Amino acid sequence: MASSTGSLRRYFITRLLLVLPMVLILLTLVFMLMRVAPGNPILAALGGHLSPSQLAARERAAGYDKPLIVQYWEYLRQVFTGNLGTTITDHRPVTQIIAQNGAATLELTASAMFVAVVVGIPLGMLAGRMRDTWVDASARIFGIVIYAAPVFFLGLLAQELFGHILNWLPTSSEASVIIQANLTAHTNIPIIDAMIDGQWGDLPDLFAHLVLPAMTLGLVISGVVLRLVRVNVIQTMKGDYVEAARARGLKERDVVVHHAFRNALVPIITVTGLQAALLLSGAVLTEETFNWPGIGNQLIYYLEARDYIAVQGIITLFALAVVAISLIIDLLNAWIDPRVRY
Amino acid sequence: MATTVPVTVDRQASLGDAEDDRSGRMRGLHHAIAPLLAARGLPRWLFWTGAAITAFFVVLAVFAPQIAPYGFNQYMVHGVRFPQQGAPSAAHWMGTTVVSEDVFSRVIFGARTSIEVVVLALAFSVAIGVPMGLISGYFGGWLDRALVLFNDSIFAFPYLLLAIVIAFLLQNSVGGGVFTAAIAITVVYIPQYFRVVRNSVLSVREESYVEAGRALGAKPRTVIRRYVFANVIQSVPVVASLNAADAILTLAGLSFLGIGMDPSVAAEWGYDISRGISDAQAGFWWTGLFPGIAIILLVTGLTLVGEGLNDSYNPLLRRPVHRSYALPGGQPAATTTALAAAEPVIRVRDLRVWYGTDRGPVRAVDGVSFEIRERETLGLVGESGCGKSTLGRGLLGLLPVGATRDGVVDFGGRNLVTASPAEMRKLRGPAIGLVFQEPMTRLDPLMRISDHFAEALRTHDPDISDAEVRRRSLEALGGVGIPPTRFRNYPYEFSGGMRQRIMIALALVFRPRFVVADEPTTALDVLVEAQILSIIADLKRNFDASLLLITHNLGIVAESCDRVAVMYAGRIVEQGAVEDIFSRPEHPYTQELMRSTISLSTRELHFIPGAPPDLVEPPSGCRFHPRCPAAMRVCAVAAPIGTEVRPGHLAECWLHGPADHLTPDDRVPLEREEIGIADEA
Repeated sequence: MASSTGSLRRYFITRLLLVLPMVLILLTLVFMLMRVAPGNPILAALGGHLSPSQLAARERAAGYDKPLIVQYWEYLRQVFTGNLGTTITDHRPVTQIIAQNGAATLELTASAMFVAVVVGIPLGMLAGRMRDTWVDASARIFGIVIYAAPVFFLGLLAQELFGHILNWLPTSSEASVIIQANLTAHTNIPIIDAMIDGQWGDLPDLFAHLVLPAMTLGLVISGVVLRLVRVNVIQTMKGDYVEAARARGLKERDVVVHHAFRNALVPIITVTGLQAALLLSGAVLTEETFNWPGIGNQLIYYLEARDYIAVQGIITLFALAVVAISLIIDLLNAWIDPRVRY
Repeated sequence: MATTVPVTVDRQASLGDAEDDRSGRMRGLHHAIAPLLAARGLPRWLFWTGAAITAFFVVLAVFAPQIAPYGFNQYMVHGVRFPQQGAPSAAHWMGTTVVSEDVFSRVIFGARTSIEVVVLALAFSVAIGVPMGLISGYFGGWLDRALVLFNDSIFAFPYLLLAIVIAFLLQNSVGGGVFTAAIAITVVYIPQYFRVVRNSVLSVREESYVEAGRALGAKPRTVIRRYVFANVIQSVPVVASLNAADAILTLAGLSFLGIGMDPSVAAEWGYDISRGISDAQAGFWWTGLFPGIAIILLVTGLTLVGEGLNDSYNPLLRRPVHRSYALPGGQPAATTTALAAAEPVIRVRDLRVWYGTDRGPVRAVDGVSFEIRERETLGLVGESGCGKSTLGRGLLGLLPVGATRDGVVDFGGRNLVTASPAEMRKLRGPAIGLVFQEPMTRLDPLMRISDHFAEALRTHDPDISDAEVRRRSLEALGGVGIPPTRFRNYPYEFSGGMRQRIMIALALVFRPRFVVADEPTTALDVLVEAQILSIIADLKRNFDASLLLITHNLGIVAESCDRVAVMYAGRIVEQGAVEDIFSRPEHPYTQELMRSTISLSTRELHFIPGAPPDLVEPPSGCRFHPRCPAAMRVCAVAAPIGTEVRPGHLAECWLHGPADHLTPDDRVPLEREEIGIADEA
């Protein structure tokens, strides 16, 4: 046991070192994206609002008159010191936006992932086990159709049905106004903040606000999870060790759960990790649909304001999130599959 | 899809001279289409349903101005304004919007916008991604590494954000529209084509025929065009149709956020849904509903096309067709039994195991009878594909879907052929063990050796204590020479020979009365083989087990077995004591088999002419007659009857009678031409 924990720690350190080049490449990509456009951020956001001399002063102050390579270096230095600049239009530190609104996005994506796993994995296993039966066909059609539905259209249907026709659940924002006003921000996740302060009475309202956005985004992702689980369980069910387990008289349920499914998990987790892109993209749309005060919501707001600094900061955050997710996925795989550690 | 593939073909073909273009193009397309036409069942159904839906939307897109009753932003006709937010009616089937536009017309023009953007985006990304992947995969080196790095980082990035930022930047410089949206989406998909194509090139590059092409002095680009491209072209349609589905969603997402498409330029479903959300809150459900349904339909259609293509191309997902059928009435019992001296552990009578395929049943085991006594080892020998492994698994009831058994397998008074699955499961392990051919893949890679033992022992005895599990496992492992220190290791930490010993220990830990060992040493080197064989020889001494040892190696039989059964084309053609059969083989097939073995005195290699027969349509009469040097006329028409040549030595061959069944004419040597005539008839 001791030796395998040791190798897991060693693996973690090696993997962490490999993250650095990936971070650097993604940051370069973000920088290039934001600077290929003609003009500069100050001009884009404030052009027409300020006089040419005022604009020039602002540009100098922000360092946009320096050569691109110097700006690039400055940007990297800022990111690594945890400073993403101040927005041009409303002078907020970008890190403050991330702290306040990033928490809401984290809450939404984590709950959606939970829904996706709870719905997708059992259905996918069932479909894979009962291949080519009506169960399999229905699960596959569910997977395809749910994935084909734009998340904002599902959101529209959910709002219509549960919000307006049945009038069961709220369809906008993360808390009722009064409850929001009574919360003290510790983590910026209202549910956790309410728990910290023992405001248990607020929880039903907070969960009610979370249900529709989390279910909507989670169901879309569950379609992908279902398809993944199904294909991988079908493949591992053909595995030699599965036949060998049957030859030892194992119960079919144990064969499926302990051998076929566990072995299918490694590719499932890897590919689900690649879906991080889908999850984050879906979150932007879901936040817009349900007026959820997350980081995607802020991105759209600052895009409309043409605030390049805010946009660049938020995109940088997404890039770092992608790296973090891929790191977590690799660690999970190493934990499940001892061969990965070497 | 039909629009993207030819684009690639032309671009690639233009690299070379005119003559080769033709064949290259034909080969590419043929490769792309052939598996699709061969597909059956669900994949075929999926594909054609998807293709029909996609075609429907393409027609809508192309003929939008003719089909739609009004323009996408038309709000009046003959000077009369349409109703504002009018419910669906005869004049406006899907109602009207807040600015009096006809929803039905907007849905149809939305199809045009979506398809224009997607076709453009896919054409761009295929045209950039495919050549980039070809070059990267073929030339390798620093160029490859740089391109991989670049593409991987784009791929890792949340695609919608990338598209949002690019569309936003383009919109600010050139304005929103179809082109802006298409470029934004293109960038997202380039890495996927790059990746698929590069990986295919890398795997094809290792193939011997490409090496051979290079050795013959073909130029790199000729090699790429002729060999690599034809193989690569198969995967592009799958990726393209799945990407088209994704691209529709990405475009809708962009428009929903109000980025990329300028709403005054064209109708877009995503934009209409974003309007629909505020309308729905006011009770006007129709403005968002219909565009949403259109997206779901088109994306489902494209996904079905992609999945159908993938199912028919990907051999891992292809499923053999199993036809169920009833076994025909039993053949006359061909074997007589005079073997049993002691009470046998297992007694097999007329066992048949047939597989259903779309060509008809494969008669893998077709009426075999034998028995194995206590502490006896029976060797089962024969060429690959004669049905030995199927026979071994058939005894345990471990057969794939679509296989049918009949006959009798008498094990301790119970017929295993008619036993219920639950009964069989309880016997597997405690009563009957199975050792497999490929030790490398038979242990679950994610489980410790200790967990394999604990799981197996607990399955059959839920109350067993941890200490007892440990004691019994270590005893069994010790018996095969695995030290206790390795008990908690993972399978990957062992060599092939050690894994096979662990597999044997996993079978022996239950002390079963009967063990089937299916080519236990085939995958191992000679020294390890000797170790395993000595362990198997100890089985009888230490565990009192009877053994069915399946092998194609006569040396192993001579060394380890008491009796031997020779199998040919689903039948046991000869069986008896090892010394007897090895010194005086009576069946011509056994004789040929003996002559084919290699020893120090071998001067020239002997082989049996012809190939093992097709078990779907086995030869008439004796199955060996087409290859038999001693075949007679009777052999082509009547199946031989098993005869006891000497006590305990059975052979199924007309040379050994029964004599009273044969006329002099039957005994005339078979002329080979007659085979053809007989087969014709």
